[in-house]
Amino acid sequence: MSSAARRAYFSSAWAVAWRYLHNLYTKPAVFVPGLIFPLFFLAAFAGGLSSVSDVPGFDYYDFTAFQFCFVLIQASALAGVFVGFSIAGDFEQGMGRRMMLATSNRSAIVLGYALGAALRLIVVWVIITGVSLLAGMTVRGSGLDIAGMYMLGLLANVAALFFSAGIALRFRSLQAGPLMQMPVFIILFLAPVYVPQELLTGWIEPVAKVNPVTALLDGARSLLAGEPTGLLLAYGVAFSLIAVMAVWAMRGLRKAEVAG
Amino acid sequence: MSQESNGIEVKGLVREFKNGPRAVDGIDLTVEPGEIYGFLGPNGAGKSTTVHMLTTLLPPTAGSAKVAGLDVATEGSKVRKVIGAALQEAALDPHLTAREHMKLQTSLHGLPKEERLKRGDELIERVGLSEAADRRVGGYSGGMKRRLDLALALVHRPRVLFLDEPTTGLDPQSRASLWTEVTRLSAEDGVTVFLTTQYLEEADQLANRVGIIDAGRIAAEGTPAALKSEIGRPSVEVVPRDPANRARSQEILDQFGTAVPAARDALGIRLNEGIDELVGIVRAFDSANIELASLVLNEPTLDDVFLAKTGRHLEGAGEADSAEMPLPDGETVNA
Repeated sequence: MSSAARRAYFSSAWAVAWRYLHNLYTKPAVFVPGLIFPLFFLAAFAGGLSSVSDVPGFDYYDFTAFQFCFVLIQASALAGVFVGFSIAGDFEQGMGRRMMLATSNRSAIVLGYALGAALRLIVVWVIITGVSLLAGMTVRGSGLDIAGMYMLGLLANVAALFFSAGIALRFRSLQAGPLMQMPVFIILFLAPVYVPQELLTGWIEPVAKVNPVTALLDGARSLLAGEPTGLLLAYGVAFSLIAVMAVWAMRGLRKAEVAG
Repeated sequence: MSQESNGIEVKGLVREFKNGPRAVDGIDLTVEPGEIYGFLGPNGAGKSTTVHMLTTLLPPTAGSAKVAGLDVATEGSKVRKVIGAALQEAALDPHLTAREHMKLQTSLHGLPKEERLKRGDELIERVGLSEAADRRVGGYSGGMKRRLDLALALVHRPRVLFLDEPTTGLDPQSRASLWTEVTRLSAEDGVTVFLTTQYLEEADQLANRVGIIDAGRIAAEGTPAALKSEIGRPSVEVVPRDPANRARSQEILDQFGTAVPAARDALGIRLNEGIDELVGIVRAFDSANIELASLVLNEPTLDDVFLAKTGRHLEGAGEADSAEMPLPDGETVNA
């Protein structure tokens, strides 16, 4: 890619991201649900279920911190899912077509949404982290550990975004919303949400064991506790999910192109 | 790239949808650089599908198409750099202002930063939206949205412009203003314009050449005048102010054509040569001191062409196929 083509590519991606963020700013109804869900879960789990930490074998240092990691991954993934809603809405409204016509290299559109989602995520992180700290969460990890934890959140965000973008580009309708949201919700809640994996029993235990979100959660929790373990698996799973979902999203883009 | 390569060449273009009929069924057409090509046809004829293929929004099922010398199927990204398009539904974000749309569009096209604002303001002014530039588009009228859509299609100075039914639903004033701008783009900037429409008047007034599409196939192609002349010559009807002059009026008219049935009180002829004879007719009546209550020119319309080629009338025909030209003392010529 020549330097002029590269400049045009990133200019297109930034334009898509700018509009996405502009819409969040002008339409709070689009932004708020992605924030309310994690905050609700944080209040419900860290507050209402705090005595779960008294269960024998629950050896994490702080129940609020334990729940914060779930909420962080959940908020990051949902922020990605809601981008899919925006993509579907744009195709319904005709803006998708405008972008397809105006961008020379159309992968810049997906990159633009990803950039917008990442910037949106920073705001979400600031709010849920602030609320968790106010709720008494203690942080044991170093600056590098915490950066690593947020990086896992970002990777979860990108994977969920590519997943929902793939659906949105295939259906190009907001009616596909449940198809974007439900699988992510289900996979999140089939991970060790309330207690460590070792305390899970019954059918959920083997499911959680193979659930990729478990690796992300365990990695994030270990980083917040300042005792990093299983990071190779966590990052490996995250990057693998992104690779698979990127292919899914790009094939969705091709399908949208073919459908016109 | 030279202007010579600004044309459009389509050969055997086909688009078939899953479980559906062929929306476009093997069309061939050529649009010369700088030309305004009117693509006329009823709803569902295949106009928009053709535009979608030529603008790389839809891959052809078969056949080939080159826009500005570039293959739409294999050089899509290059094609998009040199074309502009305003599609049937003006795709605008109701939450953005016109200026913000310009910012978005200039960035999407990758215009250099220092050029974006200037180009946006220039186009907003050109389409007469300066006063509304900072208002959200959600509150714009249909005409304003269309004008903004056209301006957005021009931000990167395209060499070929696609307009898909640009004036559908517009009031006559907005329609006329859009026509003026399209004509200017072709005449002054040398932009090749591919315009789809279901309005006969629009194709007639704007297009250098017209392609008539029906059921996915080109039914006729040529200049509006040539297409109409294939069907027949224009006719003239006159009504002398003084009924006593009817016989002399008929004698004058007979010099220019053969008598045809006319409306009540009127005398009608089919012109021998064509519209150029109108001046001679007016002069002949003037020399003979015969005052006319009205003089009406009836040209064959593109609807007549459509009827002759397809056996059906074009939908919406008649609502835009006649324009009145005022005569000095209140009389009219229908052209």
